[in-house]
Amino acid sequence: MAEINTFEKEAEEMTAMHVITKNDKFERTGGGFVDLTYNGVKYERVKVVRLFPFTDADKYISIRENTDKAKEIGIIEDLEAFDEETKEILREQLRLNYFTPVIQKIMSIKDEYGYAYFHVMTDKGECNFAINMASNAVTKLSDSRLIIMDLDENRFEIRDVNALTQKERRKLDLFL
Amino acid sequence: MILKYDVSPKTAEKIPLGEDERIYYAIPYDIDKDGSWLKGAYLFVTTKKIHVFDGEEIKETIEIKDLSRAKAEAKVGGGILVVTENGIEKVVVHYSAKHLSRYAYIARGINILISGRFEEVESGEYEKMCPKCGRAIPGTKYCPHCSKEGGFLKEFLAMAKPYKKDFFGVFMLMVLVAVTTLLNPEIQKHLINDVLKGNGGFKQALVLLLIMFSLSVSIVVINFFKSNASTKLGAKISADLRMALFKKYQALPLAFINDRRPGELLNRITQDTTYIREFMEDVFCNLFAVLFIFIWDIIFMMVLNFKLAILTFITVPIVVVLIIGFRKVVYRIFHLQFRKNDDVSSDLQDVISGMRVVKTYGREEEEANRFKHLSAEFARTQRKNETFWALFYPMISFLMGMGVVIVVYFGGNDVLKDKMSAGELYQFITYTTLLFQYINWMSWLPRELTLLTSSLERINDILSQEIDEKDEDTLVDLQIEGEITFDHATFGYKSYQPVLEDINVVIKPGEMIGIVGASGTGKSTLINLLMGLYEVDDGHLLIDNVDIKNIHSKSYHSQLGVVLQETFLFSGTILDNIRFSRPDATYEEIVKAAKMANAHDFICNTPDGYNTYVGEKGYSLSGGERQRVAIARAILTNPRLLILDEATASLDTESEFMIQKALERLTKGKTTFAIAHRLSTLRKADRIMVIDGHSIAEIGTHEELLNNKGIYYNLYKAQIG
Repeated sequence: MAEINTFEKEAEEMTAMHVITKNDKFERTGGGFVDLTYNGVKYERVKVVRLFPFTDADKYISIRENTDKAKEIGIIEDLEAFDEETKEILREQLRLNYFTPVIQKIMSIKDEYGYAYFHVMTDKGECNFAINMASNAVTKLSDSRLIIMDLDENRFEIRDVNALTQKERRKLDLFL
Repeated sequence: MILKYDVSPKTAEKIPLGEDERIYYAIPYDIDKDGSWLKGAYLFVTTKKIHVFDGEEIKETIEIKDLSRAKAEAKVGGGILVVTENGIEKVVVHYSAKHLSRYAYIARGINILISGRFEEVESGEYEKMCPKCGRAIPGTKYCPHCSKEGGFLKEFLAMAKPYKKDFFGVFMLMVLVAVTTLLNPEIQKHLINDVLKGNGGFKQALVLLLIMFSLSVSIVVINFFKSNASTKLGAKISADLRMALFKKYQALPLAFINDRRPGELLNRITQDTTYIREFMEDVFCNLFAVLFIFIWDIIFMMVLNFKLAILTFITVPIVVVLIIGFRKVVYRIFHLQFRKNDDVSSDLQDVISGMRVVKTYGREEEEANRFKHLSAEFARTQRKNETFWALFYPMISFLMGMGVVIVVYFGGNDVLKDKMSAGELYQFITYTTLLFQYINWMSWLPRELTLLTSSLERINDILSQEIDEKDEDTLVDLQIEGEITFDHATFGYKSYQPVLEDINVVIKPGEMIGIVGASGTGKSTLINLLMGLYEVDDGHLLIDNVDIKNIHSKSYHSQLGVVLQETFLFSGTILDNIRFSRPDATYEEIVKAAKMANAHDFICNTPDGYNTYVGEKGYSLSGGERQRVAIARAILTNPRLLILDEATASLDTESEFMIQKALERLTKGKTTFAIAHRLSTLRKADRIMVIDGHSIAEIGTHEELLNNKGIYYNLYKAQIG
C-alpha cells in the first residue's frame, strides 16, 4: 500500500518486544530525572514503570517515552543485571514514582465513629493515618499480604500479617 | 483546602522577603530524597521565588523569572512538583497522596505568577482530615468535632425549631412515662409493708393491686402514644429534610454535583435523613424520660437509705467500664465473623457469575477447593464465636446484677437489724435495677449523638450551599435563529485543569457541524457548554450574539433538542417519555413526532401501544428503540438547536440506518452539533471540527480536511481503509 497508515503502524508497533540490557546507557539529568540512549537514539526524561509492583518489584520494568502516549522504548527484565550506578539511578526514579510504605510495627489502632486511626512504624519512618471503615480500605493481595488505603489515598503495605506479634494482630483483626 | 499553612514564627523568619514581596502559598511536603517520611518541611511560594524549606533551613531557592512552566505530576501513592527552569525539567519536591490535589493548585498558582499576573489561586475543595484535631472529616466543610461550640445542641435546636409543638407533646408524654415508672415501686413497698408484713386486710391489698395494675396499664398506653408521636415526628422531619435536599440538588450547579461521588449525594438523601428519623424514634423518644427517671431514681435511693445508695453508686463506674470493654470484644469477634461471611458470599458470587469462564477453562476443581477453604475458615470463626457467646453472655447478666447482689446483702442486713423495712428494701432493689438498666442505655448515648451530629452536619453542608441567583431583569427570552459564537471560550471541570482552551469559531444558522476527536479531548465538554450545563470560565459563548449567561434558561432549553448515546428514559410509559419535553403536546403531535422518528411502527407492534411501560431506565426496549423514542422526544419541541452525541453508536446496522433517516429529517435547516466516532455518519455535515489538545485542531468541509492531510485525514483513512 502506497500510503502508510499511522494507526496501522502504531498497532503493529505495539506488539514488538524490546529488551533493554546493561549495554544501553542511562544518565541522570540535571533536574533529577533520567535519559536513556537505546539503539543509538537518545530518549529524554524517560518514564520508569513497574509491571509487577507487588509480586516482583525489581523485575520487568518498562521504560517509556515522556509523551502523552508514553510509548514503550523497552523492558528491563531484571534490575539486578545492571551495574551499581545504573541501579541507583533507576532506583531513584522508582522512589519518585512509587510511594508505598511497608508497615513494620503497629503501635496503636483507635477506632472512633466509623474511622480507624493508625499509628505505625513503616520502612519510611513513623506515621499516623486514618481509614474509613465503611469503605473497602483494605485489599487482600494474598492470605497474609495486605494493602491499606487511607483517606488521602496513600497506600500502606503489610507484607506478612503472620510476622506481626499476637497483640498487633488482634488490633488488626477488625480489618482483616 | 488550605494552600497557605500557618508556620511557626521561627520558620517564617527564615524566609527572606524583598520589597513588594509576600508569601503566596506555604504548603508541606512530606517525603525526602531517600523516599522517607519528612516532618516540618514546607514549600514557600512568594511573589518572585520558590523556597524549599526542609524543616531546618532553606535548602533551595528557585527564581520564578527563570521558569517557563510548573506541573504537579501524580505518581503512585504520591506526586512530584516539576518546574521547567531555563529549559530543563526539574523535580522540586516529592509529597504523599495527602497533598496531591493541593500541589495541583500550587502548580497553577506558580504558572499564573510565571505569566506575570498576581492573582492568588483558591481551592473550594474540603480538607479530609481536620487540621486542628486530626480527626477525619465526614465530607463536610467543617470538622463536626471542633467547628462550633456546643455544635450539636445548636444544630439540633435549629432543626427542631419548626416542630416546636410536636416536640412539646413528645416531651410531656415522656414526663408522664417517667412519673408512672417511678410510682410503681412506691406502691409495691406499701403492699409489702402494710399488707404482707403488717395487718392490712384483703380490701387494702385489692386497692393496692388495682393501683399497680392501672399504673402498669397506663405505662403501656402512654408508651404507645409516645412512640407513635415520636415516630410521626421523626418521619415528618426526615421527609421535610429529604425534600429540602432534593430541591437543593436541583438548584445547585452541576459543578458542585460532579465534585462529589454520586453515591455520597444519594446517601445524604437516603441514609442521613433515615438516621435522623431513627434517632427520633429510638433515642430521642426515650431521652428525657430516661434522664428524668435516672435523676429521681438516684434521689429516691438516697432518701430511702443513704449508706446503701452510696455503696451502689460505687459499683456503677466498675460496671460501666466492664460493659464497654465487653462490648468492644463482642464487636471485634462478630465483625470478624461478618467479614469472613462477606468473603464467602463475594467469592460465591464471583464464581457463579463467572461460571461460563470457569467451565470453558476447565477450572471447576480449583475453584471448588478455594471455596472450600474459605467456607471452612468461616465455619471455624463462627463456631469459635458461638462458644464465646455461650460462655460470656451469662457474665454480662451477672455484671448487670452485681449492684443488686450488693444491695440484697447489705440491705438484708439492715432489714434484719430493723433499720429498714422489707418493703423499702424491695423498693430499693427495684430502683437499683432501673438504675443499671438506664446506665446501659446511656452508655450508647455518646455514639448515637456523634452519628446524629455527623448526619446533621452533612445535611446542613448541602442546605447551606450558596447559589448565585441570576438577576431576573437582565435575562432575556430569545427566539433562537441559530448562530453560535465561541469567543475565546475556556473551560475546565476543575479550575486547575482546563479541558477546552481558547475556542474561537462562528457557526452559521442552520449549519450542521460534525465534531470528531479522540476520547477525552473535550468533545462532550463542548456540548455540555452548549447545553448550558456549565458556564465558560473565560471568554464567551454567544447565541445569536447574546451571551448564553443572559438568556432565560427555561426559554433556551425549550428550543434545544438533545439525543445522547446512552438515552435516558424515565420509568413510565412511552407516551410519558415522548411528552417529557412538552407536556401539553396532543396525541396527534405525538404520533407525528414518533412517525418522523421511525418509532411509530415498533410502538404499534407492542400490545400496549403508546401506553407501553418502558421499565426502569427504559430497559424493556432495545437500544435502537430507546434511541428512536428519544428522537421523537427531541422532534416534539421543534428545536432550533440540535445536539447529537454519538446518537447512533452502539446500534446494529439496520437500526442505525433507520435512525440516520430520522435524524436527517430532524436536522434539516437547524443548527446541529453532532459528535461521532464513525465518520460515515457525518457525511451530511456542512463542516467538520476536529478537537485535539484542548482546542480546535482543524475545521472545514470534508474535502478541505482530506486535502489538509492532518488528523482527520488519518482518521478517515483508518476507518475507510
